[in-house]
Amino acid sequence: MLTLTGLRKTFNPDTVNEVRALQGVDLTIDDGSFVIVLGMNGSGKSTLLNAVAGTFYLDEGRIELAGHDVTRWAEHRRAQLIGRVFQNPFSGTAPNMSIAENFALAARRGKPRGLGFALATDLMAPLRDRIASLKMGLENRLDNAIGSLSGGQRQALTLLMASWLKPELLLLDEHTAALDPKSGDQVIALSEEVIKRDRLTTLMVTHSMQQAVSLGDRLIMMHRGAVLHDFRGAEKKRLRADDLIDLFNEVRRRELLDESAASMLQALYV
Amino acid sequence: MTLLVGAFTIGLILALLSLGVLVSFRIFGLPDITADGSITLGAAVTAILCAHGTNPVLATTAGMIAGALAGALTGVLHTKFKINALLAGILVMTALYSVNLRVMGRSNVPLMQHTTLGTWADNLGHRFFGEEGLIILGWRVGAGEIALFLGAFAISALVAGVLFLFFRTHLGTAMRATGDNPQMIRALGANVETHIILGLALSNGLIALGGGLLAQYQGFADAQMGIGMIVWGLASVIIGEALTGGRSLGLTLIGAIMGSVLFRLLVAVALRWGLNPNDLKLITALFVFLALILPGLLKKFRRRQPAAA
Repeated sequence: MLTLTGLRKTFNPDTVNEVRALQGVDLTIDDGSFVIVLGMNGSGKSTLLNAVAGTFYLDEGRIELAGHDVTRWAEHRRAQLIGRVFQNPFSGTAPNMSIAENFALAARRGKPRGLGFALATDLMAPLRDRIASLKMGLENRLDNAIGSLSGGQRQALTLLMASWLKPELLLLDEHTAALDPKSGDQVIALSEEVIKRDRLTTLMVTHSMQQAVSLGDRLIMMHRGAVLHDFRGAEKKRLRADDLIDLFNEVRRRELLDESAASMLQALYV
Repeated sequence: MTLLVGAFTIGLILALLSLGVLVSFRIFGLPDITADGSITLGAAVTAILCAHGTNPVLATTAGMIAGALAGALTGVLHTKFKINALLAGILVMTALYSVNLRVMGRSNVPLMQHTTLGTWADNLGHRFFGEEGLIILGWRVGAGEIALFLGAFAISALVAGVLFLFFRTHLGTAMRATGDNPQMIRALGANVETHIILGLALSNGLIALGGGLLAQYQGFADAQMGIGMIVWGLASVIIGEALTGGRSLGLTLIGAIMGSVLFRLLVAVALRWGLNPNDLKLITALFVFLALILPGLLKKFRRRQPAAA
C-alpha cells in the first residue's frame, strides 16, 4: 500500500523560476491497484512520480510504502521497494553493457552487491526464457550491448528489469511516449501482462486518452499540483475517451484564469 | 637491447597507471587529475618506507593504500561537496604536492643503497639466469633486467586479471553501470556516490602502485615525477583502444597494457632519434589532443563524402 499525505514541493522557491509543483497531494493506493495518472503539462504528474521515487525530497508531507515511512529515504534506498520505467528509453538501461549484465544488475535491485559473479548460471536460464517470451528474438543476443537495440526493445527490457524482483510499487512515467505506435502498443501489452501476472501495485503516467480508459482500475487527474478528479471501480470502467476530453476542456478553461481569480469566481458562482 | 628491455619494463610498470586512468576516465567517465599526485604519493610512501628498511612488499602496499585514500578524497570532494570532478582532482593533486614533500622530507629519495622489489628481482634473476645474463636475438641482456621485465609483466598481468574478475562481480558490474548510466543504476538501488568514491580509490590505488614500482625500478622517488602522468596514461589508453578496438572488457584491459608498452617504445625510439626530452610532454599532449578529436573529425569527413558524391 502506498499512502501519500499532504505532499508539497516548490522548486526554486522565492525566485522568478518558482514552480509550485505539488500543492498538497493526498492519495492512498491499495495493494494490487493499477492507477492511471492524467493531467496537462505542468500539472505535477511526473513530479508526483519522482516524489514517490525519491528523485528529490519533499518540502512537506509523508510517503509510506509497504509499511515503511520512506519520506527521508534516498532514491537508491527506495529502489528496494520500487521498480521504474522512464519516458526516455535510454534512461532505464546501461547502453554499453550487455542485455545479460543489465538483467544481472536488475536482479540485485535494492540488495547488497558483493563479490559474487554477476552472470551466475542460475540467473541465465530463467532470463533466457523470460526474454524469449517477448518474441523479439533477443534471447540469442544476451551478450549484445543494449545500446544496439531499438527504443521499443529497450523499453520492453526495462519493464522486465523493473519487475524482475517483484516490486512493492511499479512506476511507469509516460513509458511509451517516445516510442512509435507499434512498439508503444507492444510495450503496453507487456505492461498489462506483467502487472496482471504479479498483481503489481502500479502508478502510470500517460498522455494517451486511449490508454487511460482501457488500462487500470483507477484514474486520477492532476491539476496545479493537486488531485482534481479520482475515478475508481465502476466509475472508472464507465469512463470513455470523450469524458476525459471534456474534463480536459474544463481544466483548460480554468487555466485561462489565474489561480486567485479562479477560486474567487468559484466561491461566488459555484 | 638494454634500452628496449628497459622501455618494455617501464611500459609494463606504467601499465598500472593506464589501467588506473582506464578506470576513472573510461569506466566512470571522470577526468581525474589526482593521478599526477597519487603516482608520486605511491612512489614517495614506498620509497621512504624502503629507505627505512621496511619490507618492500609492505612498503609497496602502503603506497598503494595511500593512493587509494587520495582517490577516495577526490571522490568525496566530487560527490559529497558537489565540486566539479576536474577541480576536485586539481585540488587533491595540488595538496598532494605538499604532502609528498612532507612524506619524503626532501624533494628526492634515492633507493640505490636500500632493499627494494628491484633488488629482489635482480637477485632472483642472477640465481635463475646466471651472472652472464641471456643472449636474446644476438644481444646480451643482463639477468637483472630480464627478471625486472618478467616481474613487471607478472604484476601488470595479475592486476589486469584481478580487475577483469572484479568488474564481472555484482559490485564491479554495478560500478561499470555507474559510469554508463547513473540514473539507471540509482533506480536499481545502487548508491552512485559510494561507487564513484570506490572507483576513484581503485583507480588511484592502481596508479600509486605503479608509482611505487616505478620508484623501485628507477631507484629513486622524486616530487616532480608525477607531472603530466595523467596525459601519459590517457595516451596509453587511447593507443590501447586503437590496438584492440576496445569492444569488450577483457580487450580494453589488455589494450591498456599494450598501449602503455607501445607508448614507452615509441618514446624510447623518439628519444633515440634525437628528440629533445624537454619536448616530450608537448608532443604527448599534442598526440592526446589529436587522438581525442580524430574520431569526431573522421565521422564528419565520412558524413560529408556521400553528400559530395
